[in-house]
Amino acid sequence: MTRSGEIQLQRVTKRFDPTVAVEGIDLTIPDGSYCCLLGPSGCGKTTILRMIAGHEEPTDGRIRIGRDDVTGLPPVRRGTAMMFQSYALFPHMTVVDNVAYNLRMRGVGKAERRRQARAMLARVHLDAFAERVPAQLSGGQQQRVALARALITNPRVLLLDEPLSALDEFLRLQMRGELKRLQRELGITFIHVTHTQLEAIALADLVVVMDQGRIEQAGSAHAIYNEPQSAYVARFMGGQNVLSGKVTTVADGQATLLSSEGDRFALPFQGTADFAGTLVHCAVRRDRIKLKKVAAAGRSGQVNALAGEVYAIEYQGSYVKVTLDVPGWPDFVANVPDDRFFAMPVDIGDAVLARWLAKDVRMLEADLGRASEAAGEIGLYKQELGLAQA
Amino acid sequence: MKIPPVVVAYLQVLPLFLVLLVFLGVPLVLVVVVSFFDYDMFDIVPAFTLRNYDELLRSELTYTLYYNTVKYAVMVWAITLVIGFTVAYFLVFHVRNLLWQIALFLLCTVPFWTSNVIRMISWIPFLGRNGIFNQSLMLLGVTDQPLEFLLFSDFAVVIAYVHLFTLFMIVPIFNAMARIDPAIIEAAVDGGASRLQILTTIVIPLSKTGIALGSIFVLALTMGDFFVVKIMSGGQSANVVLAMSNEIAMLQYPPAAASAVGLLVVVSLMVAAILRVVDVRRELAG
Amino acid sequence: MRQRSGRRPWTFYALAAFFTLFVLFLYGPMSAIYILSFQGPSGGLTFPMNGVSLNWFYALFEQQRTGDFAGSFGRSITLAICVLVLTVTISIMAGLAFRRRFFGAGLIFYLAIASLIMPGLLVSLGIGLMFQFLGIRPNWYTSALGAHLTWTLPFGLLIMFAVFSRFNRAYEEAARDLGASNWQILWTVVLPILFPGIIAVALFGFTLSYDEFPRTMVTVGPRNTLPLEIWVMTTNVTSPALFALGTVTTAVSFLVIALALGSIALIQRRRTRQIIREAGRAA
Repeated sequence: MTRSGEIQLQRVTKRFDPTVAVEGIDLTIPDGSYCCLLGPSGCGKTTILRMIAGHEEPTDGRIRIGRDDVTGLPPVRRGTAMMFQSYALFPHMTVVDNVAYNLRMRGVGKAERRRQARAMLARVHLDAFAERVPAQLSGGQQQRVALARALITNPRVLLLDEPLSALDEFLRLQMRGELKRLQRELGITFIHVTHTQLEAIALADLVVVMDQGRIEQAGSAHAIYNEPQSAYVARFMGGQNVLSGKVTTVADGQATLLSSEGDRFALPFQGTADFAGTLVHCAVRRDRIKLKKVAAAGRSGQVNALAGEVYAIEYQGSYVKVTLDVPGWPDFVANVPDDRFFAMPVDIGDAVLARWLAKDVRMLEADLGRASEAAGEIGLYKQELGLAQA
Repeated sequence: MKIPPVVVAYLQVLPLFLVLLVFLGVPLVLVVVVSFFDYDMFDIVPAFTLRNYDELLRSELTYTLYYNTVKYAVMVWAITLVIGFTVAYFLVFHVRNLLWQIALFLLCTVPFWTSNVIRMISWIPFLGRNGIFNQSLMLLGVTDQPLEFLLFSDFAVVIAYVHLFTLFMIVPIFNAMARIDPAIIEAAVDGGASRLQILTTIVIPLSKTGIALGSIFVLALTMGDFFVVKIMSGGQSANVVLAMSNEIAMLQYPPAAASAVGLLVVVSLMVAAILRVVDVRRELAG
Repeated sequence: MRQRSGRRPWTFYALAAFFTLFVLFLYGPMSAIYILSFQGPSGGLTFPMNGVSLNWFYALFEQQRTGDFAGSFGRSITLAICVLVLTVTISIMAGLAFRRRFFGAGLIFYLAIASLIMPGLLVSLGIGLMFQFLGIRPNWYTSALGAHLTWTLPFGLLIMFAVFSRFNRAYEEAARDLGASNWQILWTVVLPILFPGIIAVALFGFTLSYDEFPRTMVTVGPRNTLPLEIWVMTTNVTSPALFALGTVTTAVSFLVIALALGSIALIQRRRTRQIIREAGRAA
């Protein structure tokens, strides 16, 4: 067994008759990277984690770790270790016996395995609690014991099932940093399942956004947040407003869209005039929108501008989240930097105009493919746009 | 070679199955079979006859016996239900400290661990003419003659049954009540319900399965018992199983078997009727 | 309704009084027996007490026309221990089995419940008949053993159900993740965590067998168990020796319960003692 922690999922499918948990998953996770599986409940992320661990077997497809095909192997033979959401610390054993469990299973003598366990506990700063039982520890301490217990097996891949969900906010942020540092220090692959977007982009080298058993987009945190490829990812990550319209004109590397409401949007566009009439989805970053109070509500009449009424205001410290009630565009949000907001505050019920620049708008290519599927011209469009094979 | 988990499960349940099959299933079948056998002075005669059922159903004694059996069962059921429910209610809803709850609960269960026969006969010196109860009553000046009906009467029989079997009512009801989410009670209080209303609209409906389970136990145990009736009634009363034990003592197995089958049918009907009203399986499966 | 603090409603006092009466009702009559077992040598079966003595306890240990107590006592204890061991083993195995759904699970479950409800004498009769037809003599260590198991196994099974339903399967997965085989998972994780439940099953197994009476009647064979000896005595109650017997047999039961609860408490105490020792060392 090599030490490489590279993980390859090839056409992995899992069915719990009659539901399909995951379908046709192809994914490569580089060795030594921090990967987050992100998505809402039921999207299949935990199923994938458990299949990599060996606690579930795929109905179809193969799983490789390093160069080894581990499909069908029991967890202990894969070089993986799992940290459970509930920690699953054995309540009838002391902390040190919990951590030493794997060594005990491997037949290491009592004195030696307890010594090694204490050393591991020292690394997570818990050696003072070695003789306690789990019930006497706080949530954060229990988590570190679970971590120590997993790491003592010297795995090449560490699997974490929503490790931070059970902690309160303050501890969560603290542990986040510790997990990242730990991964850097150990140099092994971490796979971390979460439903919290900000957590994923804070920690991961590779973010895998999932929905309903399929991978929506996999890429670096920056790419996922700034360059979402589909409306789903754009909405899920929360940093963007999703708009759409039919292409009316294409000129000078820019296209103009006309929405069914009569709004006009301009965005950078690599295609030709042949695209006229196609429905295009696009996303504009919420923090790139400027608000201006206007006298009365009504259509804006301008390009890249929408008029609406302020619906909700949430102070978030460094910025203020202003939700607008705009006809045709639910959930339209502007994140206004706090100094700008308090220089010119708006109130609930005010009529405002939201404006942004064309360069801050991105086309969502994946939805372009989907929208045109009926027309049967996807491949052609994607070639013309210079998009890689999805 | 990996054994499929289902096969492992079958292997694990096998001992239980075998014991129940050999010591319950087969004997039951035998009892039914023998109930159709004939008998004479010395032995049972394997032949198919309806003689036993004929005698059973025609005899007036049978109906008297069944009347007694059901009479005791229903009286005991009613009393144990009231006592059991009240005690369980007290323990779950009025005892705040968990440790006290467990301690008091154990206090109730400890007598269960001692011999039924001993517990039953302990009533004799207690209720007798010179017994403690009469003596205390006379001491307190409540009566000047000892109360005769206390012992060797229907009263004594029922008291003894209640003494023995109330626990079987307390435990399932306690279990069911303990499972009620306290937040539900608080929501009811919030909504303006009085304690009585909470009792009738929330606690009782949510304890239904526990009550049903306890009722099944108490009815079955009371109807299946004979030594309490024999001793505590002083020989003046009898029930179905007592008659059965007499027949067994005289080695008249076929009529005993017929009696047994008859009783089993009656008990099964009562249990089925209770299960109709309340689905107990969920409660049992935890 | 269940207040955390504050004044208690009047219903609390009413119910507490009711509960006290109930406890007195449970324990009261028995105390009459305990007292009467110390009856003087010339005393009778009821009050008043005619002096205090250990006479009737001594009478027990002499084998007399009133019965063979030492023998039946020994048989009852031996039988109860066998029943305990078998009940625990079979109940644990069945409890493990019922975690899966398998064909026939419902049938076996209802069979077990039926075993609980069926009149003891009926079971006894059936087993007696079975042995008679097979031509085997019923005996306390064969037919009576089987009869006792039909009584104890349903209780054991129900307890195992309750215990397993609260058991978090993540423990087993964690153990498997850390390299334990199925057998190791059972032995090092599952059984230790279920230990209090197992003790409960053992307790039920022992005491239900030790006190068992109707099922044993026809199946016991030529030599009686203790409850049957008591039964014989009750039908011709002649001396307070019966009460002395009652006191002794109750003492045994209490001893067994104390052992059971004590063993659970001991396990808990051992852990806290470790903590105190560690704290002391660190200080």
